[in-house]
Amino acid sequence: MKNPLYRRLPRELKKNIGKYLALFLFLTVTIGFCSGFFVAGGSMKQAYEDSFEKYNIEDGHFTLYSEATDELKDALKAEDITISELFYKERTISNERVLRIYKLRNDVNKVDVMSGRLPEKSDEIALDRLFCKNNSLSIGDSINIDGRDVKITGIAALSDYSALYRNNSDFMLDSISFSVALVTDDGFDELGDLDLHYNYAWLDGKTTPENKQAERAEEIQKIISKYGILTDYLPQFLNQAIKFAGNDVGRDRIMVQWLLYIIIAVIGFAAAITTRSTVEQEAAVIGTLRATGFKRTELLRHYIVIPLITAAAAAIVGNILGYTVMKEVAASMYYNSYSFPTLVTVWNADAFLLTTVIPLLLIFVINLFVLGRMLRLPPLQFLRHELKKKKKNRSVKLSFGRFFTRFRLRIIIQNIPAYILLFIGIFVANVMLMFGLALSPMVDNFAQTVIDTKISDYQYILKAPYETKNEAAEKFAITELQNEREESISIYGISENSKYVKKSDLKNGKVLVSDSYRDKYGIKTGDKLKLSEKYRDKTYELEVSGVYSYPGALCVFMDLSDYHTLFEQDDDFYSGYFSNEEITDIDERYIATVITVTELTAGANQLKDSMGMVALFGVFAMALYVLMIFILAKMVTEKNTKSISVLKIIGYSNREIGSLYNYSTGIVVILSMLISIPLQTFIFEKIYYMMMREFNGWITFYIAPWVYPVMIVCGCISFLIAYSLEMRRIKKIPKSEAIKGIE
Amino acid sequence: MKLVLEDIHKSFGSGDNRTEVLKGISCTVESGSICVLLGPSGSGKSTLLNIIGGIETADSGIVSIGDDIMKDMNEKKLSLYRRRHLGYVFQSYNLVPDLTVKENIEVGAYLSDDPMPIDELLNMLGLWEHRNKMPNQLSGGQQQRTSIGRAIIKRPDILLCDEPTGALDYNTSKEILKLIEDINRTCGNTVVIVTHNDAVKNMADRVIKLRDGQIRSDKLNETKISAADLEW
Repeated sequence: MKNPLYRRLPRELKKNIGKYLALFLFLTVTIGFCSGFFVAGGSMKQAYEDSFEKYNIEDGHFTLYSEATDELKDALKAEDITISELFYKERTISNERVLRIYKLRNDVNKVDVMSGRLPEKSDEIALDRLFCKNNSLSIGDSINIDGRDVKITGIAALSDYSALYRNNSDFMLDSISFSVALVTDDGFDELGDLDLHYNYAWLDGKTTPENKQAERAEEIQKIISKYGILTDYLPQFLNQAIKFAGNDVGRDRIMVQWLLYIIIAVIGFAAAITTRSTVEQEAAVIGTLRATGFKRTELLRHYIVIPLITAAAAAIVGNILGYTVMKEVAASMYYNSYSFPTLVTVWNADAFLLTTVIPLLLIFVINLFVLGRMLRLPPLQFLRHELKKKKKNRSVKLSFGRFFTRFRLRIIIQNIPAYILLFIGIFVANVMLMFGLALSPMVDNFAQTVIDTKISDYQYILKAPYETKNEAAEKFAITELQNEREESISIYGISENSKYVKKSDLKNGKVLVSDSYRDKYGIKTGDKLKLSEKYRDKTYELEVSGVYSYPGALCVFMDLSDYHTLFEQDDDFYSGYFSNEEITDIDERYIATVITVTELTAGANQLKDSMGMVALFGVFAMALYVLMIFILAKMVTEKNTKSISVLKIIGYSNREIGSLYNYSTGIVVILSMLISIPLQTFIFEKIYYMMMREFNGWITFYIAPWVYPVMIVCGCISFLIAYSLEMRRIKKIPKSEAIKGIE
Repeated sequence: MKLVLEDIHKSFGSGDNRTEVLKGISCTVESGSICVLLGPSGSGKSTLLNIIGGIETADSGIVSIGDDIMKDMNEKKLSLYRRRHLGYVFQSYNLVPDLTVKENIEVGAYLSDDPMPIDELLNMLGLWEHRNKMPNQLSGGQQQRTSIGRAIIKRPDILLCDEPTGALDYNTSKEILKLIEDINRTCGNTVVIVTHNDAVKNMADRVIKLRDGQIRSDKLNETKISAADLEW
């Protein structure tokens, strides 16, 4: 015979439909989002990994000062290396957008045309999908290149540019002002020879294990250097444009996974505590059933089944959403940041395990822990309603304050486990809310600080020294080294008595580090930095004598003379100019890059642009807020139904009763918010630092002052929503409840 | 089934606060008989009933029902013992609030491999018309009938009733006692009733009076009358 107690389940569901629906919806959205995130991430990762073979992605590329000689080609061929011409020209179009224009490719780094078609005529062009989206360009639009109108015929993803890094050392990719483009051979020729880069992609016939790739890259570099003048050399494993997106997909997975489990645990405890309250109310019934022969496990199963059914239903619907709607949402997050090829959804067993099996287990274990302990009590204790392990001999003495204050304190003391859980729920919700609210102003603040602390309005980086007559110009030297994590660090050699870099802390033979570098790696004065050259086995040790306020990049500043000594350069060597005025008398061919505010803030703008989904955190946090307050306040009201009824009989109005019971919850909500804010700021900072360490560069941690009051207002609004729902419940409690036998 | 108690001792508390509630209770209740445990508050009658019911353990002594001896049983075995032998009726009816009358009785049927036919039982309990009602739609008497139905549907060897009429008015109390008597007669189970209502002893086959944890008298009732004729 089927256990007749199970017939209670649909009635229990119907009776508490609000509670279970809220739990179901919240779990569904949480699981759905995470499932979508994992599925999209898994599919994206798969598509990315497959793309290496599918699109025949290069093993590396190099750029020469002039076309590769036959000797070079033969030397590489002897090493089983095939090279393909991937010449490009860079052109600036309107709004300072830069296009890196290639000829159509057939053999290597092939292209996924996502809409439209590849160019067929000389006045046609295909552009990167993300760049087009960010610049509202679509098929049929025309862009002007060198005074010539070119029509966009295709939107594409270039397999060697899944992340639009213009330079490999850039802090962030830049899909707003930089794009790769494809034109026909004729179209390429019609662009003229200006700024032509003799770029070659290579494919290595030899298979090199991962730990030997650097060695192999060095071998190849040596061969190339022997037969040509290298201006750029980048093996695939160091190429951010190829590798960054692939590494980034799934990088947030651990964080999302933990977020999922924390939310599930909070919900699991909320469900368990409300069920525990039901068990307390039904203690005598349970005692009778146990006395009649019901086993503990039978009752445990009975009380645990609804939270499990709710969670299982949420997992099923959540996974369906995960594979459909939410996958698209999550995929759009990646598509907003990267130029991935078309996504094909693949079944993800891992996602199923993470979003279904583990959450269900978690809810089961939590409920088992909370209810199992309670149901282990002997039947007699249930019959006597003695469900606490230790009998309370004395009540807490409250001899201060008004009656209402003492009454509210009693309610808080009576419901301490529920209110502790409420605190945890509010804490988790606030951390999410902080993510939702604080990141965008943090990036804005960073952009502003970068502008405020810029060294000069213009930084000209030269390919070779070139004298200027501009009096605002100040010479400096710059080179790139890398630290132990292979992150690029700019080394500046600053002229003595510089008017642009105030380096009073700079001691002879020592260096200053930018504050961003200090923050990211926790560098202290006196520390010795070990930095090495990228393609050569040469390491430098630099002693830090202070910090220079320059959050825009990870940099080291030293005296120009020290720079010359360190890098064995002539005393008059320099490689750039600082200037607050635009320098117009330098031959453009000598200019490698000009860094202005636009370049300095490009990373911040890009980051902000790819952060659209972060706002969702705020919405999610608000929902968690309302849910926690609603469920736990409901439990407090239900637990006190009789007392509320008695208060009604003796003449208390609904408002007064609400002010007693709901204000108690309100007090806990406000206290939780106030207590948790410093704690969550600490946690948020820790998580933020962990996240930022994964990126190149650094964004200074900053929380806009308005974030805190907004969080408190959000908390209060959530409370008011839950308050109004609870008031309806209190109004519905009849006076007759006080004189009715519970069982 | 015959119920035998041998030298049952039970104390609560420890040290100076130790109170001996049962001081060596020994008695036998014959199979199919009605036994009334009488005594004032604090005499130990409910504790004794709970020990028989296996929801309280004796410090020493033996409880046996038929061939089953309840001694050193773990919780699992005690559950099985209760499941197999006992039906419980309490003063507060302790019905499952979200189940109908019929379903509440089925909760008892679930515990047995050979339960009584439920429709017949509903008729016998006078609850047929109320079978689809929820407990909060019933009077106290109807609720107690339901709880008796839940206890007896699994054909327990012994029906334990702890103040079954304590919360009921005079007429309803008599109806409930009459029902217990009818069940005893038709089903043949042993019934142990704990009460402080002296009049109830008149319907018993055996009356055991307790005071201060000891049996003051243990007599067979030669002048047994029907529960319908009880007066107090």
